[in-house]
Amino acid sequence: MNNIPTRPQTVQCRCPLADGAELVLTATRRARAGRAEVKCSVPDDPRLAERMQQVVRLARLTEPSFDSRDQVVLSIDRRPPLAERGWELAAVLADRMVRGLLRPGAAGAANGWSDEWERGRVGGHTLASAASCSQGGTLLGGPAGLAHLGLLSGHGDPAAAVSAVRAWFPLHSGEAGSLGWVEVSVHPLARAAGQAGQDDALEEEQTIAAPGQDAARQLAVRQALCGARHFDGRATGRWRTAVRFSPHAMVGRSWELALVMADRLARGRDFVPRGRLIASGCSDAWHAGRVDPVDGVHPKCALLLREAAAGDRILLPRTWEGQLPDGFAEQLRAQGASVACVERIGLI
Amino acid sequence: MMLGFLKRAPSAPDACELGRSLVALALPVGAAPPASCQAVVVAQDGRTRRLQAARRIEARAGETAYAFHPGPYTADLVPFETAPEIGLRTSFAIDAPDPQASQQRFDLYLAAEVAGRLELGALAAAIEGALRHELATGGLELPPCTTLDEWNAFRQGLNQLLYMRFGLTVDDCLPVDLGDVRDYAQELAARAARQEQAALAAAPLEPSPMAVSNPERFDPAAEDARAMRRLFLELPCLMCGLRLAAMPAAPQQFQRQQALLQRLDLVSVAVNAMPALELAAPGQALAPEARLRRARHSRRACVSLDEAWALLARLRQAGEAGLPLLYDEAERIVANLEADCEGRRRTGEES
Repeated sequence: MNNIPTRPQTVQCRCPLADGAELVLTATRRARAGRAEVKCSVPDDPRLAERMQQVVRLARLTEPSFDSRDQVVLSIDRRPPLAERGWELAAVLADRMVRGLLRPGAAGAANGWSDEWERGRVGGHTLASAASCSQGGTLLGGPAGLAHLGLLSGHGDPAAAVSAVRAWFPLHSGEAGSLGWVEVSVHPLARAAGQAGQDDALEEEQTIAAPGQDAARQLAVRQALCGARHFDGRATGRWRTAVRFSPHAMVGRSWELALVMADRLARGRDFVPRGRLIASGCSDAWHAGRVDPVDGVHPKCALLLREAAAGDRILLPRTWEGQLPDGFAEQLRAQGASVACVERIGLI
Repeated sequence: MMLGFLKRAPSAPDACELGRSLVALALPVGAAPPASCQAVVVAQDGRTRRLQAARRIEARAGETAYAFHPGPYTADLVPFETAPEIGLRTSFAIDAPDPQASQQRFDLYLAAEVAGRLELGALAAAIEGALRHELATGGLELPPCTTLDEWNAFRQGLNQLLYMRFGLTVDDCLPVDLGDVRDYAQELAARAARQEQAALAAAPLEPSPMAVSNPERFDPAAEDARAMRRLFLELPCLMCGLRLAAMPAAPQQFQRQQALLQRLDLVSVAVNAMPALELAAPGQALAPEARLRRARHSRRACVSLDEAWALLARLRQAGEAGLPLLYDEAERIVANLEADCEGRRRTGEES
């Protein structure tokens, strides 16, 4: 929070609506000068402006620290249709982006509403079909998309009954690369008594599902998780697990480390990074906790330098340590992120 | 003789717990502190003095005498709310008094935040809260797959934090697997069951304007009194700490430090002249909602106090190069203090 190099003065966040129209929310930051910390304006509707201020104030309660020196002015380009609440998420995100709590490019468009902004939960969205907007990269609220504001940096909802955590991994294809994510959600498993220890490993594989993935990926996910949980020693037979991947096409196995770390975080068994966890690495021996090298040091490092934001934690295989570009760690530190080259997973 | 015996009797079972589940305890008048304990006398205005060990405590009217056991104590801290199966087994002690300090930090903690008795559980919870806040805001770093260097930096930061905030010295701190005592899966299952029951019991309520900035109810008078006492006692010590923590060599940083001190001085004056919670003007009562708003501001001012102590801990470790960043943070904290003191003084909402 304290070493963000540049904070934008103005940020826009679009909000597509079910009828195909679009609202534009603009957030502007200026000196507080004794005024309210949030000011909202909606054309011809002061009551809605009040509601917007309420939403933003509630959502701010989930932030760890506050800065009273700024006033954020939020405005919407026209009056939303009656009973339309999809703009709420866009307002919250614009407010965070303009104060530098989120990267300005984190959300160009969003639609979501919530009755529990003070807990950071997002209830759902108002678009008729999620597909109609997914091509534009619209962030949708609700269980199928963004269920909790913390998920923007991978964190689970501390009050939910399901623990869901995201971790990111670098994808590289030629010049342009991007970060893909993997989300692990674990549900407590009501264990039947008297299970034999013999088929524990098999049983464990049955409790892990990766819906929407092909059979080979399913198998790889199950084997990686089972191996890592075996290494953990305290994880088998307690959880039912669902794994989701971001809709990027990907080849290779370098997502495995991100998957394994997301699983450890979701089960509450590892230190939690302040920002996102970004990892690249695979292993042939997850049951021993070993991390093996993957390809593409240089394109991935360049990508990481572009994407890393304050608080992010980057994990790379130990063998990369000598191959990192000069000044890689220093530059990341200047951006507020930290990097570690690890030989095995575990606390220290 | 008999009378003195009767007087001392009620506190005896508690006094035995000193050094185990109890850290500090207010003693009745005339009692001697238990063996191996030390005594601090806290006056009503918050001034403290230490007494020589094993002497009868002579407290004047309005003073409270505390006996505390220097420890060591051990507590399992959970640094992350969402990672309950990982803990830090920390053993800490209340150090021998620092002869250079005019007031020991632990004595200030007793005077400002403790009412009557300090349980080990309460102290551990306060430490855990301070640790979690620092981890969430980035003052301390404890990322996954911590390297040895990062762990050492974390340990130093933790030592400084606990010393500045509570006057405790950390003897040892090790990550431990709490899987034996905490089961995250069962906790989540219990949470799910609770939520189901709650959903059955009541239909979701519409968020009312009152619930807006006040998700949980609290007693404004008690909270406000506690917060104002902390502000009144701790602000002068904070300023003293800021002066002592670093002597900036660069003229620009020196000016920033001086400006910060001046602003803190004004905040301190504002705290000393703060109107009563329940009065809008002399003889004119304030509406209950406005009292709640005022109490929320004083509570938030206490969060800033905690942040300021944590910042002092970081200042003591930082070299000259780290000063600009830390003074940025200090300016934020002081601005928040100013805003909350202003909010505590106001009778209505701001524009």
